[in-house]
Amino acid sequence: MLSKNLFKSITAGAIVLGLGFSLAYAAADDQIKARQAEMKANGKAIGALVAIIKGEASYDAAVVKASLDAMATADAAAGEAKAWDASSMEGATVETWAKPEIWAEGSDIGAKYQAWVDARAALAATTDEAGFKAAFPALGAACQSCHESFRRPKG
Amino acid sequence: MLGFTAFWLLSAPRPLPASAIPAHTANIANGEILYTTGGCRNCHKPKAEQAGLDPNLPSGGFPLKTPIGVLYPPNLTPDAQTGIGNWSDIDFVNAVQRGISKSGQHLIPAFPYTSYAAMPVEDVLDIRAYLMSLPPVASPRREAEIPVAFLLRRGLGLWKFVGLDTASWQPDTSQKPGWNRGSYLVNGPGHCGECHTPRNLIMARDNSRFMMGGPHPEGQGKVPSLHGLVETGRYKDQKDLVLALQNGEVFGYEHMSSGGMGQVQANMAKLPQADVEAIAEYLISLK
Repeated sequence: MLSKNLFKSITAGAIVLGLGFSLAYAAADDQIKARQAEMKANGKAIGALVAIIKGEASYDAAVVKASLDAMATADAAAGEAKAWDASSMEGATVETWAKPEIWAEGSDIGAKYQAWVDARAALAATTDEAGFKAAFPALGAACQSCHESFRRPKG
Repeated sequence: MLGFTAFWLLSAPRPLPASAIPAHTANIANGEILYTTGGCRNCHKPKAEQAGLDPNLPSGGFPLKTPIGVLYPPNLTPDAQTGIGNWSDIDFVNAVQRGISKSGQHLIPAFPYTSYAAMPVEDVLDIRAYLMSLPPVASPRREAEIPVAFLLRRGLGLWKFVGLDTASWQPDTSQKPGWNRGSYLVNGPGHCGECHTPRNLIMARDNSRFMMGGPHPEGQGKVPSLHGLVETGRYKDQKDLVLALQNGEVFGYEHMSSGGMGQVQANMAKLPQADVEAIAEYLISLK
């Protein structure tokens, strides 16, 4: 009787464990997809700002605000989805260009993330075209410095 | 024994004679432009842990990971003991254009002398003059960590028969001066083809696939083709490519930072406007 219970426990344990594993797989893929969705949203948002910088579009405070809001939303959604947790590299099946260095000892991803947050805040505080143009490069540089260190070439 | 003798004779370094140095008044400003185009400092930078060294000077020692092992590119500042302070013009030219060290050994072609060989000697002397104008930094040389280094180095003498084209760059007289300037900067000092032209089985650049991209030399991902930059919609026009080279991902130009391109782009940002325009003019002509 005891052994039968033990058998049941082990079976139940194995099922829970197996379920856990498959959940982990799904979780990592979802995390990566959330990360890529965030980057896509950020890319779209910054595109509108770059158009102003390059003179392809005229300065519009509403466009600047909408772009920064879109980035804030993307940032929050990625946080919600744990898109940047180290667990996203465990058992993923979708392709990712994120380099494992992000989560390595001594990684400065935290400082680089903060630079992006700060650059968004600085840009949000601008009220005219001159201020926008002066503050924009810090935002672009935040994207650049993270990609340079932590994104591997595609292909 | 005969085989070994043949190997030994054929693999011998063939340096240029001192008479290859023309009478020339050095132009340091030109040397700086070519030094920047070549991105010399990107590999010859100091190692991070060597505190107190100016990271903007090419004092060498930063580990360069290559498929054959770790190299420590040497000190290019004019320090007499550890840098190039005691090098003569011909020592410098042989290193840069023939891949032969001051002590007469073959240099590993991670150092892109295979592209620099196309430069006029005068331009190489200008780079030397620029380097000699930098403050000297004491930074001792560190041996490369490569297996069978002796044989491998000597064997490079054979590789050079195929891998090292010593023909000088020639202008295309049917093209405009800007295009030719771009062609020179891209194919000579800029050595873009070292990554953007794929290599064949013996690791020589395969010019039948000139600038067509290929596997990334660091092992992961791909180096993009530089053909059809406008036709494939990657850039709108020459002006757009100029902005991309000058601003990279700061202006949201995708993939200008990954795979080592970030350092290249940062160098492009420092070049005179006319030179970046020339580079873009040449690149978009690759259909």
